[in-house]
Amino acid sequence: MAIVGASGSGKSTLLSLLAGLDYPSQGEIALFGHRLSGLSEDERAVLRRDKIGFVFQNFQLMPQLTALENVMLPLELAGRRDARDAARSMLERVGLGHRLKHYPKHLSGGEQQRVALARAFVIQPKLLFADEPTGNLDPTTGRQIIDLLFKLNEEEGTALVLVTHDTELASRCDAIYRLIDGKLSGAGR
Amino acid sequence: MMAWQRLVFAWRFARRELVAGELTVLALALVVAVVAMASVAFFSDRIERSLTLQASQLLAADLVYSGGVPADSGVRQQAARLQLATADSATFPSMVSAGGQAQLATFKAVSNGYPLRGSVTIRRADGSLVSGRLHPAPGEAWADTRLIGRLKLKLGDTVQAGTQRLTLAGEIVREPDATLDLYNFVPRLMFNLAELPATGLVQEGSRIRWRLMLAGEPDRVGEMRGWLAPRLTRGTRLENVEDARPEIKSALERARRFLGLTAMLTVALAAAAVALAVRRYLARHWQPVAVLRSLGLTAGEVWWLFAAIFLLIGLVAGVIGTVAGYAVQQLLMKLVSGLIGGNLPAPGWYAWVMGPGSALVLLAGLALPPLAAIRKVPALAVLRVELPPTRQGVAVPLMAVAALLGLTAWQVGDARLAAVWLGVLAAFLASVGMIAGAVVWGARQLPAGGRVGWRHGVASLARRPWLAMIQIVALSVGLMALLTLTVVRADLIGAWQHSVPPDAPNRFVINIQPPQRDGVIDQLAQAGLTSPVLSPMVRARLTEINGNTVRPSRYESEQARRLAEREFNLSWSDVLPGGNRLSSGAWWPAKRAKPQFSVEKGLAKTLGIKLGDVLTFDIGGIPYEARVTSLREVDWDSFRVNFFVIAPSSWLADQPASYITSFHLPPDNEDAVNALVQRFPNLTVIDVTAIIDEVRAVVDRLARAVEAMFALALAAGLLVLWAALSATRDERLFDAGLMRALGASRQQVRGVVLSELAWLGALAGLMAGSGAMALGAVAATQLFNLPMVVNPWLPLMGMGAGLLVVTLSGWPLVRMVVKTPPSTVLRAG
Repeated sequence: MAIVGASGSGKSTLLSLLAGLDYPSQGEIALFGHRLSGLSEDERAVLRRDKIGFVFQNFQLMPQLTALENVMLPLELAGRRDARDAARSMLERVGLGHRLKHYPKHLSGGEQQRVALARAFVIQPKLLFADEPTGNLDPTTGRQIIDLLFKLNEEEGTALVLVTHDTELASRCDAIYRLIDGKLSGAGR
Repeated sequence: MMAWQRLVFAWRFARRELVAGELTVLALALVVAVVAMASVAFFSDRIERSLTLQASQLLAADLVYSGGVPADSGVRQQAARLQLATADSATFPSMVSAGGQAQLATFKAVSNGYPLRGSVTIRRADGSLVSGRLHPAPGEAWADTRLIGRLKLKLGDTVQAGTQRLTLAGEIVREPDATLDLYNFVPRLMFNLAELPATGLVQEGSRIRWRLMLAGEPDRVGEMRGWLAPRLTRGTRLENVEDARPEIKSALERARRFLGLTAMLTVALAAAAVALAVRRYLARHWQPVAVLRSLGLTAGEVWWLFAAIFLLIGLVAGVIGTVAGYAVQQLLMKLVSGLIGGNLPAPGWYAWVMGPGSALVLLAGLALPPLAAIRKVPALAVLRVELPPTRQGVAVPLMAVAALLGLTAWQVGDARLAAVWLGVLAAFLASVGMIAGAVVWGARQLPAGGRVGWRHGVASLARRPWLAMIQIVALSVGLMALLTLTVVRADLIGAWQHSVPPDAPNRFVINIQPPQRDGVIDQLAQAGLTSPVLSPMVRARLTEINGNTVRPSRYESEQARRLAEREFNLSWSDVLPGGNRLSSGAWWPAKRAKPQFSVEKGLAKTLGIKLGDVLTFDIGGIPYEARVTSLREVDWDSFRVNFFVIAPSSWLADQPASYITSFHLPPDNEDAVNALVQRFPNLTVIDVTAIIDEVRAVVDRLARAVEAMFALALAAGLLVLWAALSATRDERLFDAGLMRALGASRQQVRGVVLSELAWLGALAGLMAGSGAMALGAVAATQLFNLPMVVNPWLPLMGMGAGLLVVTLSGWPLVRMVVKTPPSTVLRAG
């Protein structure tokens, strides 16, 4: 599904609420059968670690980690012993098998977003939140990234929540919601 | 933009930045740096002035002009013009008689106003002690304990001085400038200068030393000294405490070095804090600079803008820091006032300029070079994430070193010492950097395993090798200061105080004739005194250096002229005397040594004598010529018998010599000395207890002053820790937010930060401990001429201290990191 809205309409706030990154001041959010308000900060972290992936507009890679280390990070947090192998094979899937030891600053924007995709999918998340994933990319690269995102999404069977102001991109999703003045309206294509 | 427009713009920009909190760390680092430096400058300036004042008490004046005739009216008019207080004294040996007995004494006639500095203590007839600026009234005389004992006098008796009769009105207990007449070891009779003509003792050819004592504002005394120096004629001289008393000079010199060391450490620490703050500031301004570029500012204009911001911040921080530094120093003065005593003189203008000046120098050396990189930020950077370069050119460290060198030289007033110090510091930093790099590289190779927090802590250190190295180096500087200031300081000050041990010799016996040697040794041994070493001495005059006649007039310094003029006590020995160290050359073999000389280093420097020079001494009209084969350093404050020049005994042993010795006499064993003098009436015993007490008091006061200053430097060390942690705070918060978003628990995030801090602390502490150990050893042997001080526990103590201090200092950061909401990561960038 896609959530579209103009800049400043509250898309990112909604995303952070949905992912349990922030607390709602009113109302209730349930994720995988858990009421988020009933979970502690750490319990929500565990939920994210095991089931949720993120892709950000600004990639949000750790600049001091190599591509491989960035992808290893969520696996290491989960205590996975095969972190290195799993991360390597994920990077190969996104076409960066030859850039494992490069730091983000040595990667192009498109490559950085591929690393971010690899990091998001490496834990085989049930749910993926993508916040303007093409916002910082040129149209051609943006299209390639979106193709890759949908391909991985399909292969992994992940539910995708895509926040964007790009209606063309949104149209590739099964459902589109519009966020206007903090209110979500409409569903369907 | 015009220059003034730029400044106005920079001022507005700086104000906004300050309000936004962007300049807080840099401004605080600068303020604290300036507070530390200014308070050290104020404190040491005032302590030095106070010490000079106290040292003046040994002269009873700030400056003494002495000669064979009274000071002429020109000198007195100049003193009056400079509003200096004056007093006169005349000292000479003569016979004093009472009750049919006569005794040789040193007469000292003093004018009203004596003493200008320090105080006289006398015992009155009723047994009461009176202290103050006292002098005998006309018609009265005071005598010291020895004279009263030898002539069996009572207070109130009449004594005859020349043709004048005087009433004995007091027993001299303490006389501030008695030390000036150290070798006038005969008993003292003091009376008013007004009585001198009536004694009839002042005649043509009388050997009278006339002293004009001067005291006043330090600047004016300095001016008087400058006025007098070129007017000195043969037989006249200027006496100040440093020339008069080598052991006081040595104590003062060490104190200056201790104070200097503290000041230099503070400078280095402050510089590290400023460098870290600048690094953080520029890293945070990479994007804003791109925005400014995109708004149309040229690279040069952007550079000027930030340079002007630094200049303004430097000036403001400099002024605030100086005022705060003065307040801190006032507090310190209150803390130590009882110990240092008296009203401290106000600090000089120099200390006021030090603060703002050093803030600007620090910024010029540490902020401007890295600022050059800001010119390279492209306007395009607004459209994509650009990271500041992690490596910078050689100009950055070079300028930093130049600024540090300049500041250090300014602080200690000695460029060579500053260079040595920075050399040691640079070597330490380079080795710390290399070791830190190696350990970090090693940690990076570690296989994954263990707890996630621990593993990531190591990894995040290893994954930022340059940052880790910078932090470890900065932290180890802070910790090294901490250890140097606590452990090494205690060891050094202990060793220093120990250099005047409680059983330091307090009696010198001179004029022991060769046949009396065994008798003297036996007698002292019977009295339970430590078996003394009797050193031979002959009077000798230095006549030639490398065949060139020694002419006093050829030397510029007054001290050198005096040394060239006077006779030396030459001694001989087959072994290097205790308390002496060879600084160059080699000592001669115990047997059958060829004729040669060993010369004290200070004397050699003053008279321009080098190793290998050929010296000719005249002993009893016979020239003795030999090469200088070694130079010695002598502990003048050990109070042992020391000689400027020593020769092998095989060469000079048959010279007609007398012997000299020194020993420690416990306070209640005066009879032993009396017995010795009764058995060998020709012996002269010199009591130096008062001098030793004076030196020990000076050393104690200095040690306390230095300790107080170390507390300040310690604060600067903690500032470095804080700056190092806040320099990486943004990166850590970002990392933590991202990790939280990716599902890390609080415990995991805390574990990562804590283990990284623990690694940092332990590693930096280990190196700081080793560095402090090396620094202590170098400082003891090279700077302070003390025995080597090595504390083998320092590296371990360093590790412990590093772990503790860094973890504790980082605790607020840990709390902040753990509290970072993961949603920040969505808003970042």
